[in-house]
Amino acid sequence: MSDPGYKNNELGSILIQKDAIASIARQSTLQSYGVVGLAPKNIFENIRQIVKKDIKYGVNVDYDHDGLIIDLYIIVEYGTRIKSITNSIVNSVKYNVEKTVGLPVRRINVHVRGLRISNMD
Amino acid sequence: MSVVEITKLSAEERHKLVAIPINGQGLKALLESGMIWLKTNQQIVNSLNVFPVPDGDTGTNMVLTMQAAFEEVENTGTENVGQLAHAIARGALMGARGNSGVILSQIWRGFARALDDQETMDVQLLADALQEAKETAYKGVVRPVEGTILTVIKDIAAQAQVSVQRTSIFTEVLADIVEAAVASVDRTPELLPILKQAGVVDSGGKGLLCIFEGMWRFINGDPIDKPLTDVVPLSEMDLADTMETIEPGQDYEVVIDFTPNTGFNLEDYYEELTKIGTSIQVGEGDGIYRMHIHVPLDNRYQPIEHTMTLGTIQKIMMENLVAQMDERKNNKNPKIKLTAVQPDEIATVAVSPGSGLTRIFASLGVAAIVQGGQTMNPSIKELLASFENLPTDKIVILPNNKNIIMAAKEAASMTVKRVAVIPTISVPQGFSAMFRLIPDGDFDDNVNTMKEALDEVETGEITIATRTVEIDGVQVEKGQVIALHNGHLVSSTQTIDEACEQLLIAANTNDYERITLFYGEDMKQTQVNTLADKIRSVYPDHEIEVHEGGQPHYQLIISIE
Repeated sequence: MSDPGYKNNELGSILIQKDAIASIARQSTLQSYGVVGLAPKNIFENIRQIVKKDIKYGVNVDYDHDGLIIDLYIIVEYGTRIKSITNSIVNSVKYNVEKTVGLPVRRINVHVRGLRISNMD
Repeated sequence: MSVVEITKLSAEERHKLVAIPINGQGLKALLESGMIWLKTNQQIVNSLNVFPVPDGDTGTNMVLTMQAAFEEVENTGTENVGQLAHAIARGALMGARGNSGVILSQIWRGFARALDDQETMDVQLLADALQEAKETAYKGVVRPVEGTILTVIKDIAAQAQVSVQRTSIFTEVLADIVEAAVASVDRTPELLPILKQAGVVDSGGKGLLCIFEGMWRFINGDPIDKPLTDVVPLSEMDLADTMETIEPGQDYEVVIDFTPNTGFNLEDYYEELTKIGTSIQVGEGDGIYRMHIHVPLDNRYQPIEHTMTLGTIQKIMMENLVAQMDERKNNKNPKIKLTAVQPDEIATVAVSPGSGLTRIFASLGVAAIVQGGQTMNPSIKELLASFENLPTDKIVILPNNKNIIMAAKEAASMTVKRVAVIPTISVPQGFSAMFRLIPDGDFDDNVNTMKEALDEVETGEITIATRTVEIDGVQVEKGQVIALHNGHLVSSTQTIDEACEQLLIAANTNDYERITLFYGEDMKQTQVNTLADKIRSVYPDHEIEVHEGGQPHYQLIISIE
């Protein structure tokens, strides 16, 4: 199926690539409270990240005919309520992506890959 | 351990409870007062939301988080401040709701950590705990956004450090903190452009300010459960009563429904209104505000002009109070005006059980009304008399009750006029039939279309069972609330709200568009409005109307069409 980021108007065409959407999602995730970092999606990404900074690190963007599907791989601060944090991430990423890109977000999957312990209580 | 109602304590008792060094119970009182004041201002905080995201009501989220924290310690009698702080932190963590709630829980977590193993807290320790709270809050995010609750806790912590150098009096430190928090909240739009665009301050920051302000008000002996400005849910606004308290010189009553623009500041709005008039009430429901005010003649357009600058006005009602009062004095029930039929037109006679329903029938064009309904069936003679003198010989009768249909038919057979009885078994059916009436149309056509209309409306009736019985397979105890759907018993419950809910399900309300509630003489308007709000939340796509029916016995007659 065709890229939903591809749009025509009378003057030409507009293509919003997945990378662009990924960086918006990434930015929005990192600004969400409770998120202390992103995590590699898999071992290859982990290695690649060492060599070259990847703007899609920890974020995956895909789409089907109903809209975007965004996967986020995050590390959360120990001692926070993960349920509330992940809820906020979903809400704010959806809001920011839809507002800036204008494409509907169908699913956001948040994968909590780890906890960072900065203080033991 | 008895639960102390802290809002009722005198200033002296309050001072004793939170004396320096503060112990566990003192901290608990501070937590509770912060929570109560935040709750009091919940709607104001909610109204500052910029992002239209789900669960984004910052005020509500923070209140729920504070409540969870308080519930954790509510019945704890410990005097140890460290233990109590840790319990608060645990409760806040478990109950953290939304972004602001999570940050708040982190603030409590840091606060508690600083009080580890401490029996009591002096001002230096308070300042250190706030510092730790700030640091813990900042640790929770990679890219802290300034101009939020984070900035406010940072400024609070910094101020506390400065204040304790100057004084060791707790109230003075707290006053400094509140002052710093106010300044910090006011500064948030400068730091976060989106706030400036929307013309608001940060909601989370404002929420945090409310918590500290609550503590300060508590110690000062100020009330914490009464808002400075009043917002009540729309359903609780009782505008009928404000009529009674009319002040001399306030000649007009103005009621405006409006949706405020983003950045609407309720406190400012209130302040402006107090310059214009009196008896001010502002209600809110589903984002729509209703403002009520009494104003002198010369000021009567001012509230409208002022509100127009702040939002989109949906409806304006303006009434001359003086004239209205006079009318009330002269006539408790305003006269009902029935339609004067012309010869050769069709006249309708409706049987109505209540004054409110009579008024609606009259507005729909009924030519004669016969009082009657359940347990007070009109006689054949009364029915006959109602139309014998009408200047037309085409008559339609709406009995609006199963038990009156027979009498109506009898009356029809006793006259030389041409009379048709539309077998309406309920008032909603009667209304539905009336909507179809074309007075100068063909008689038979009219009768047919009116009969057809009966199937287009579902009738619900809510009443109290007068005896214990089993009908239609439903067991009913005397005194229970029962719901009838098209005359059949569908449920018996303890409350009117429940009965109504089950009735709407039984009537397949989802297939219809409009729900109208006619409330009886035993039911209060405020009660119905609350019920209507509930229904609105269950059926958001339906149009819901409330009218005074004034009928006896039936708390509610409901029309679903």
